[in-house]
Amino acid sequence: MGRHIKIRLESRIGYVDLVHELAEGLARSAGFSKSSALNVGLAVREAVINAIKHGNGMDVRKPIEVSFEQEDDLFRVRVRDRGPGFDWAHTANPLDRENIFRTSGRGIFFMKHFVDRVAFQRRQGRGTEVVLEKRFEQAGRAGRGGEVMKRRKG
Amino acid sequence: MKAISRHHGKVTVVDLSGKITIGEGDIKLRQAVNAILDEGRKNVILNLGGVSYMDSAGIGELVACFKRAREKDASLKLLNPNGKVQDLLILTKLQEIFDIYRDEREALASF
Repeated sequence: MGRHIKIRLESRIGYVDLVHELAEGLARSAGFSKSSALNVGLAVREAVINAIKHGNGMDVRKPIEVSFEQEDDLFRVRVRDRGPGFDWAHTANPLDRENIFRTSGRGIFFMKHFVDRVAFQRRQGRGTEVVLEKRFEQAGRAGRGGEVMKRRKG
Repeated sequence: MKAISRHHGKVTVVDLSGKITIGEGDIKLRQAVNAILDEGRKNVILNLGGVSYMDSAGIGELVACFKRAREKDASLKLLNPNGKVQDLLILTKLQEIFDIYRDEREALASF
Protein backbone atom coordinates (compact mmCIF):
# COMPACT_ATOMS: atom_id res chain seq x y z
CA MET A 1 0.00 0.00 0.00
CA GLY A 2 1.61 2.93 1.02
CA ARG A 3 -0.71 5.81 0.95
CA HIS A 4 -2.37 7.18 4.06
CA ILE A 5 -3.83 10.67 3.96
CA LYS A 6 -5.63 12.32 6.83
CA ILE A 7 -7.43 15.65 6.88
CA ARG A 8 -9.16 17.56 9.64
CA LEU A 9 -11.97 20.03 8.98
CA GLU A 10 -14.37 22.29 10.80
CA SER A 11 -17.98 21.09 10.66
CA ARG A 12 -19.06 23.24 7.74
CA ILE A 13 -21.32 22.02 4.94
CA GLY A 14 -19.21 24.15 2.60
CA TYR A 15 -16.36 21.64 2.99
CA VAL A 16 -18.39 18.66 1.77
CA ASP A 17 -17.56 19.28 -1.90
CA LEU A 18 -13.87 19.53 -1.06
CA VAL A 19 -13.82 16.14 0.69
CA HIS A 20 -15.91 14.55 -2.06
CA GLU A 21 -13.48 15.76 -4.73
CA LEU A 22 -10.49 14.58 -2.75
CA ALA A 23 -12.06 11.14 -2.20
CA GLU A 24 -13.02 10.78 -5.84
CA GLY A 25 -9.58 11.92 -7.02
CA LEU A 26 -7.74 9.53 -4.70
CA ALA A 27 -9.99 6.63 -5.70
CA ARG A 28 -9.37 7.42 -9.36
CA SER A 29 -5.63 7.56 -8.90
CA ALA A 30 -5.78 4.30 -6.94
CA GLY A 31 -7.16 2.62 -10.06
CA PHE A 32 -10.93 2.71 -9.82
CA SER A 33 -12.96 3.42 -12.92
CA LYS A 34 -14.44 6.91 -13.26
CA SER A 35 -17.87 5.61 -12.28
CA SER A 36 -16.59 3.67 -9.26
CA ALA A 37 -14.49 6.63 -8.11
CA LEU A 38 -17.62 8.80 -8.26
CA ASN A 39 -19.36 6.20 -6.09
CA VAL A 40 -16.55 6.43 -3.53
CA GLY A 41 -16.86 10.24 -3.61
CA LEU A 42 -20.63 10.06 -3.13
CA ALA A 43 -20.33 7.62 -0.20
CA VAL A 44 -17.73 9.81 1.50
CA ARG A 45 -19.90 12.87 0.84
CA GLU A 46 -22.82 11.23 2.66
CA ALA A 47 -20.61 10.14 5.57
CA VAL A 48 -19.24 13.66 5.96
CA ILE A 49 -22.72 15.23 5.78
CA ASN A 50 -23.84 12.75 8.46
CA ALA A 51 -20.85 13.56 10.62
CA ILE A 52 -21.46 17.31 10.36
CA LYS A 53 -25.23 17.25 10.79
CA HIS A 54 -26.01 14.27 13.00
CA GLY A 55 -22.63 13.64 14.61
CA ASN A 56 -21.36 17.11 15.44
CA GLY A 57 -24.78 18.77 15.28
CA MET A 58 -23.48 21.49 12.93
CA ASP A 59 -21.15 22.77 15.67
CA VAL A 60 -18.23 24.25 13.70
CA ARG A 61 -15.97 23.99 16.75
CA LYS A 62 -16.18 20.21 16.59
CA PRO A 63 -13.82 18.82 13.95
CA ILE A 64 -14.35 16.12 11.35
CA GLU A 65 -11.42 13.86 10.53
CA VAL A 66 -11.28 11.98 7.26
CA SER A 67 -8.55 9.46 6.49
CA PHE A 68 -7.89 7.58 3.28
CA GLU A 69 -6.00 4.30 3.19
CA GLN A 70 -5.13 2.13 0.25
CA GLU A 71 -4.38 -1.53 0.78
CA ASP A 72 -3.63 -4.29 -1.69
CA ASP A 73 -7.23 -5.18 -2.35
CA LEU A 74 -9.25 -2.26 -1.05
CA PHE A 75 -9.64 1.46 -0.55
CA ARG A 76 -10.73 2.48 2.93
CA VAL A 77 -12.06 5.81 4.18
CA ARG A 78 -12.68 6.65 7.83
CA VAL A 79 -14.87 9.61 8.78
CA ARG A 80 -14.78 10.61 12.44
CA ASP A 81 -16.90 13.13 14.28
CA ARG A 82 -16.80 14.34 17.87
CA GLY A 83 -20.50 14.29 18.61
CA PRO A 84 -22.59 12.30 21.05
CA GLY A 85 -23.39 9.74 18.35
CA PHE A 86 -26.41 8.99 16.26
CA ASP A 87 -28.60 5.93 16.03
CA TRP A 88 -27.36 4.39 12.81
CA ALA A 89 -28.83 0.98 13.62
CA HIS A 90 -32.44 2.14 13.55
CA THR A 91 -32.68 4.23 10.42
CA ALA A 92 -35.89 3.77 8.46
CA ASN A 93 -35.71 1.94 5.15
CA PRO A 94 -36.15 4.68 2.53
CA LEU A 95 -37.61 2.11 0.12
CA ASP A 96 -40.58 1.29 2.35
CA ARG A 97 -43.78 2.64 0.88
CA GLU A 98 -44.35 5.02 3.80
CA ASN A 99 -40.86 6.49 3.42
CA ILE A 100 -40.65 7.01 -0.34
CA PHE A 101 -41.90 10.58 0.01
CA ARG A 102 -39.60 11.50 2.85
CA THR A 103 -37.30 14.41 2.06
CA SER A 104 -34.44 13.05 4.20
CA GLY A 105 -33.11 9.77 5.56
CA ARG A 106 -31.29 8.39 2.50
CA GLY A 107 -27.68 9.13 3.50
CA ILE A 108 -26.75 5.79 5.08
CA PHE A 109 -28.70 3.96 2.39
CA PHE A 110 -26.60 5.71 -0.27
CA MET A 111 -23.35 4.92 1.55
CA LYS A 112 -24.24 1.22 1.67
CA HIS A 113 -25.06 1.20 -2.02
CA PHE A 114 -21.95 3.02 -3.22
CA VAL A 115 -19.28 1.00 -1.38
CA ASP A 116 -18.88 -2.65 -0.42
CA ARG A 117 -18.81 -2.27 3.34
CA VAL A 118 -19.99 0.37 5.79
CA ALA A 119 -19.28 0.03 9.51
CA PHE A 120 -20.13 2.37 12.37
CA GLN A 121 -18.10 2.42 15.53
CA ARG A 122 -18.86 4.49 18.59
CA ARG A 123 -15.62 5.66 20.15
CA GLN A 124 -16.06 5.93 23.91
CA GLY A 125 -16.63 9.63 24.58
CA ARG A 126 -14.91 10.59 21.34
CA GLY A 127 -17.68 10.51 18.79
CA THR A 128 -18.42 8.10 15.97
CA GLU A 129 -16.27 6.62 13.23
CA VAL A 130 -17.77 5.52 9.93
CA VAL A 131 -15.60 3.14 7.93
CA LEU A 132 -16.23 2.84 4.20
CA GLU A 133 -14.49 0.18 2.15
CA LYS A 134 -14.50 -0.47 -1.56
CA ARG A 135 -12.67 -3.43 -2.99
CA PHE A 136 -10.62 -3.45 -6.12
CA GLU A 137 -11.80 -6.15 -8.47
CA GLN A 138 -10.13 -8.19 -11.12
CA ALA A 139 -10.30 -6.73 -14.61
CA GLY A 140 -13.30 -8.01 -16.48
CA ARG A 141 -15.30 -8.99 -13.42
CA ALA A 142 -18.57 -7.16 -13.01
CA GLY A 143 -18.61 -5.13 -9.82
CA ARG A 144 -21.50 -3.91 -7.76
CA GLY A 145 -24.17 -2.34 -9.93
CA GLY A 146 -22.71 -3.99 -13.01
CA GLU A 147 -19.62 -1.83 -13.06
CA VAL A 148 -16.24 -3.10 -14.05
CA MET A 149 -13.30 -1.93 -11.99
CA LYS A 150 -9.79 -2.34 -13.18
CA ARG A 151 -6.75 -2.26 -10.97
CA ARG A 152 -3.97 -0.22 -12.50
CA LYS A 153 -0.60 -1.84 -12.75
CA GLY A 154 2.38 -0.31 -11.03
CA MET B 1 -25.83 24.27 -10.29
CA LYS B 2 -27.68 26.43 -12.76
CA ALA B 3 -31.43 26.62 -13.22
CA ILE B 4 -32.82 28.44 -16.25
CA SER B 5 -36.58 28.59 -16.77
CA ARG B 6 -38.38 28.94 -20.09
CA HIS B 7 -42.06 28.93 -20.86
CA HIS B 8 -43.89 26.90 -23.50
CA GLY B 9 -47.47 28.07 -23.23
CA LYS B 10 -48.80 26.80 -19.93
CA VAL B 11 -45.75 24.69 -19.26
CA THR B 12 -42.52 25.87 -17.63
CA VAL B 13 -39.35 23.95 -18.41
CA VAL B 14 -36.44 24.36 -16.00
CA ASP B 15 -33.10 23.45 -17.56
CA LEU B 16 -30.88 22.27 -14.71
CA SER B 17 -27.14 21.78 -15.06
CA GLY B 18 -24.28 20.89 -12.73
CA LYS B 19 -24.87 18.90 -9.57
CA ILE B 20 -27.77 19.03 -7.16
CA THR B 21 -26.11 18.63 -3.79
CA ILE B 22 -26.29 19.93 -0.26
CA GLY B 23 -25.73 23.59 0.39
CA GLU B 24 -26.04 25.03 -3.07
CA GLY B 25 -27.74 22.93 -5.73
CA ASP B 26 -30.57 21.88 -3.44
CA ILE B 27 -31.26 25.51 -2.46
CA LYS B 28 -31.18 26.75 -6.08
CA LEU B 29 -33.58 23.99 -7.12
CA ARG B 30 -35.96 24.93 -4.28
CA GLN B 31 -35.79 28.62 -5.21
CA ALA B 32 -36.39 27.95 -8.90
CA VAL B 33 -39.42 25.72 -8.33
CA ASN B 34 -40.85 27.95 -5.59
CA ALA B 35 -40.65 30.98 -7.90
CA ILE B 36 -42.57 29.12 -10.63
CA LEU B 37 -45.24 27.85 -8.24
CA ASP B 38 -45.56 31.28 -6.62
CA GLU B 39 -46.36 32.74 -10.05
CA GLY B 40 -49.29 30.35 -10.12
CA ARG B 41 -47.93 28.21 -12.90
CA LYS B 42 -49.22 24.65 -12.69
CA ASN B 43 -47.19 22.62 -15.16
CA VAL B 44 -43.50 22.20 -14.51
CA ILE B 45 -40.85 20.07 -16.23
CA LEU B 46 -37.44 19.70 -14.64
CA ASN B 47 -34.94 19.00 -17.40
CA LEU B 48 -32.23 16.95 -15.68
CA GLY B 49 -30.22 16.34 -18.85
CA GLY B 50 -27.35 18.55 -17.69
CA VAL B 51 -27.21 17.25 -14.12
CA SER B 52 -24.16 15.09 -13.45
CA TYR B 53 -25.15 13.75 -10.04
CA MET B 54 -27.19 14.35 -6.90
CA ASP B 55 -26.65 13.47 -3.27
CA SER B 56 -29.23 12.56 -0.63
CA ALA B 57 -29.99 16.24 -0.05
CA GLY B 58 -30.56 16.78 -3.76
CA ILE B 59 -32.84 13.76 -4.01
CA GLY B 60 -34.65 15.00 -0.91
CA GLU B 61 -35.16 18.41 -2.49
CA LEU B 62 -36.52 16.81 -5.65
CA VAL B 63 -39.11 15.00 -3.53
CA ALA B 64 -39.87 18.23 -1.64
CA CYS B 65 -40.46 20.05 -4.96
CA PHE B 66 -42.80 17.27 -6.09
CA LYS B 67 -44.76 17.54 -2.83
CA ARG B 68 -44.94 21.35 -2.91
CA ALA B 69 -46.21 21.22 -6.49
CA ARG B 70 -48.91 18.75 -5.49
CA GLU B 71 -49.95 20.93 -2.54
CA LYS B 72 -50.48 23.78 -5.00
CA ASP B 73 -52.43 21.62 -7.43
CA ALA B 74 -49.54 21.77 -9.85
CA SER B 75 -47.70 18.88 -11.42
CA LEU B 76 -43.98 18.39 -11.75
CA LYS B 77 -42.44 16.00 -14.24
CA LEU B 78 -38.88 15.00 -15.07
CA LEU B 79 -37.09 15.07 -18.39
CA ASN B 80 -33.92 13.25 -19.43
CA PRO B 81 -32.27 12.00 -16.24
CA ASN B 82 -28.94 10.54 -17.31
CA GLY B 83 -26.24 8.30 -15.90
CA LYS B 84 -25.89 8.65 -12.17
CA VAL B 85 -29.11 10.66 -11.79
CA GLN B 86 -31.09 7.91 -13.51
CA ASP B 87 -29.36 5.31 -11.29
CA LEU B 88 -30.35 7.22 -8.16
CA LEU B 89 -33.98 7.55 -9.24
CA ILE B 90 -34.12 3.79 -9.81
CA LEU B 91 -32.26 3.03 -6.57
CA THR B 92 -34.63 5.15 -4.48
CA LYS B 93 -37.71 3.87 -6.34
CA LEU B 94 -38.58 7.47 -7.20
CA GLN B 95 -38.64 6.37 -10.82
CA GLU B 96 -41.99 4.79 -9.94
CA ILE B 97 -43.34 8.03 -8.45
CA PHE B 98 -42.28 10.65 -10.97
CA ASP B 99 -43.50 10.95 -14.53
CA ILE B 100 -40.25 10.75 -16.48
CA TYR B 101 -39.81 11.54 -20.17
CA ARG B 102 -36.98 11.20 -22.65
CA ASP B 103 -38.47 13.49 -25.28
CA GLU B 104 -39.29 17.11 -24.50
CA ARG B 105 -42.13 17.34 -27.01
CA GLU B 106 -43.73 14.30 -25.45
CA ALA B 107 -43.28 15.78 -21.98
CA LEU B 108 -44.84 19.09 -23.08
CA ALA B 109 -47.80 17.29 -24.64
CA SER B 110 -48.40 15.23 -21.49
CA PHE B 111 -50.06 18.07 -19.52
